[in-house]
Order: sequence, then structure tokens, then C-alpha cells
Amino acid sequence: MRDGSAPTPAPTNGGIVDADAHNYINGIGDLAPYLPERWRQYVLQSGMEMPPISIYPKLHKAAARRDSWPPDGGKPGSDPTFAREQLLDLWGIDAAILNPLIGVSLVRNPDLANALMRAVNEWTADVWLAADPRWHGSIMVNTNDPEASAREIERCAADKRFVQVLLLARSEGLYGNRRFLPILRAAAEAELAVGIHFGGGPNPLTPSGWPSYYIEDHTGMTQAFEAHVTSMVCEGVFETLPGLRVVLIEGGFAWIPALMWRLDKNYKGLRAEVPWLTRKPSETIQECFRATTQPMEEPPDSKHLLSIIEMIGRDHFLLFATDYPHWDFDAPDRALPAVVPKELQRRIFSQNAREVYAFNGA
Amino acid sequence: MPSTEHDVGAVSDFGEREPVRVLVDGRAMVFVRAGDRVLAARDICPHQGARLSDGVVCGTALACAPGDEVRYGRDGEILVCPWHGWEYDLTTGHALADPGRVRIATYPARVADGRVLIRM
Repeated sequence: MRDGSAPTPAPTNGGIVDADAHNYINGIGDLAPYLPERWRQYVLQSGMEMPPISIYPKLHKAAARRDSWPPDGGKPGSDPTFAREQLLDLWGIDAAILNPLIGVSLVRNPDLANALMRAVNEWTADVWLAADPRWHGSIMVNTNDPEASAREIERCAADKRFVQVLLLARSEGLYGNRRFLPILRAAAEAELAVGIHFGGGPNPLTPSGWPSYYIEDHTGMTQAFEAHVTSMVCEGVFETLPGLRVVLIEGGFAWIPALMWRLDKNYKGLRAEVPWLTRKPSETIQECFRATTQPMEEPPDSKHLLSIIEMIGRDHFLLFATDYPHWDFDAPDRALPAVVPKELQRRIFSQNAREVYAFNGA
Repeated sequence: MPSTEHDVGAVSDFGEREPVRVLVDGRAMVFVRAGDRVLAARDICPHQGARLSDGVVCGTALACAPGDEVRYGRDGEILVCPWHGWEYDLTTGHALADPGRVRIATYPARVADGRVLIRM
């Protein structure tokens, strides 16, 4: 009488684009075929592994849903076939953007880090993008070498299956800082979105030191996102690169109205400090940034979530995301409360992502 | 409608502390057995619909004051959702973090003559 059937989720209204799914290596050995001989030998001899992008133990092993371990014994997110079945097929997802959370920028040897950067991107293309046309890639970069990263963006952008350049939120610098401009410029010139995703290292999340608990880290990641948005707006990134679009991935969105109000208020008195800005900060945020929905903020009264969306002020701002295979996965049929109007749901589930990412006909 | 007691299988089909999903009258239920004690609940997390039978049966960190030694207890009475980690008290169905608002429906279940029975 046991029920071994697969789950049958409720159908969602229209198509779905998942703006945040994850592909993982089982170990650095998966990247070895894509490394030049010098670095393949180095990796083998040293026995090194990729540095983790988070030091906090998670609720579940590998920060993954307990049902996401592939039958082949590999890590969650390491098997394209299993991930396709459990994510794309099960939920009827038309397109999913893969964000490989691999700590390339935490490798201190700059030449090795650049070799690993290229290896990650080749592995994504070879193992994942070739496996199903619904997978779309994010280009991993080494933020410690923006010039090399720019060349890598240019190289990968020729493969239209890549739709985004991936940065991590807990970084060693604020992404509006001029040293990162080569990365942003290369993305803009290739007409690729830049995604800033939860996680990273090696700095503490807060400017005041390390939290003790993962619950603090997970909740407080919005601080890092706020810092990057403020930096990119005030440094004039979007005056320099007006076509650039930045997607805030897994950073929440309920904080965005408060940041816009605070920045606009300060701009009235401090405008002369940043005279290159051509409009109010809120207008730049509304036009040039997007945010993914997961992990969906869950106010006790779901109408308040709709109020937040209205305060953000643009229907194009939110992109649905699952974060598969992570433990804080958002289910497509349950995450977005019913109070969100149908037309806006359609935008969030599909259209908004299609407007930001060049999906090559997907 | 009066409740009915359903025979859902032999005790040997229900491993110790292994959440088991069974369809009873078309309704998905999760059973957790510890010796001759069986706890049963609807097999769906009210948060986002995950199957609780993919979760884990365990105990939890007991409430204490900041700085006190953190102790483990209630072993075998807590079912943790496989996705977001919401903890449910299998004896009452209440979510540990928000017992006033969140609960799963539990049903009386027992072992008799080597069979697992549920009343619902």
C-alpha cells in the first residue's frame, strides 16, 4: 500500500522560467578535463578542492532538499538528467538559468583561478547546456582579475546558450567600484545580464563582523545586496553603461522600496557629491535592476507582499526562481500568493525573465 | 461522517523511524513507527506542499536561555520537512516555530496483531 509515485504538482498558469537553478560539480575532478595540463597536474598533485562559498553548516547536507540527491550517488545538482526530471519536467519549466556556485574567486593563485574560471564555463556548456535546450548558462568570472574575466565573457558570449554573467553577493569589493568596470562593460557589450547571487566570500556578511548562526547569514544577505545596489547606482555604472541590466538573485525584494526612498531622500541634499547621476536613484533602480523572488518573503498577511510589489513600482521587476536543488526551494505552484493578480503572475513567472535574458528563441 | 479504522499494512513494512507514505482512501498519509507506537499525519507540508515522507524523523534542540547548554531531546517525535526544514511535533501536528498558526493534521494510529491501523 506504499505510494511510490512521483509528486504531481498543480499546474501553473502559463509558462515558467526559473531564474535560479544550480549545477554542481561532485569535486574538482569534474573540472580536470577542462584544465590546461599544468593546472590539471597541479590539482591532482595538491589534492585541492574548490574553496566553499559559505562557512556555515546548513540545515540539510549540501544545503539541498533531502529529495534532491541523484540516484547515482552524486551531489544534488550534479546530474543533468535527474535535475531535468525533478525540476524541468516535473514543473513544466520552459527555461532555467544555471548558476554554478563554484568559488573560483576564492582561489588566490590568479592563474589557477582564471584556468578554473574557464574550466567551469566549459564544463557548464559541455555537461549541462548540451544536455537539454531548456538549460541556460551563467558565465562564471574571477572577480579578482576583471580584465581576464572580461576576455572570458567575450569568449563565452559567442555561445548564445549563456545568458548571464555571474557575481556573488558577499564579495571583496562593491561592484560599483571602478575596478569591476571591465566585467560590467564586457557584459553590457555582449548584451548579457549580470546576476548577483547570494553567497560568496571571504568577507563576513556584515560590516561589523561574523554572525554566529546561519539564520543570521541567510536573513542578513540582503545587506550585501543593498550595498551593491547603492554602490552601482552612486558610482554611475548605469550612466556609463546605460544598457546594463543587473538581476539580484536570492536576495529578497521587500527591502527595495525602503532603499529607494532612503537614496532618493539623500540624493536631494547630496546630489553634488555624485553629479554624474542623471536621475533619481529610484528611477535607475526601477529601470536597471531586477530581483528574483526566491526565497519569497512571507508576511503573515499575503496582501502585504502585493503592497511591496506595488511600492517597487514596476511590473517588470520580479523574476520567478526556485533555487533548485537547495533547501529553501520555492515551489512554482505554491510560492507566489494568490493575491498577486494573474497578469502580474504571468509576468513574474515568464515574461519578465524573457525580457531580461536573450533566450535564443526559448 | 463516522471515522473508520483502516489496515495499512504489516508492522514489518514500517521501518523504525522511517517516514512511510501510504495512500489511505485516496489521501496521502505519512506514518512513523517507533516500536509499537505509530504516529500518522497528512503527507503534505502546509508551507509549500513538500512530501513530509521525504523528511527525517529526529529530535530537536530543546528550548533554553541564551548561553545555557543546548540540549537535544524529544528524539523520534519530530518530523522535519525535506525542503525548508519546518519541524512538526508528530504527537500534536503543531509546527514547533509557530504552533498557534501552523499544523499538520494528525490521526490516531496503532499497532494490533502485527498490523498498522489508522482511524480517519
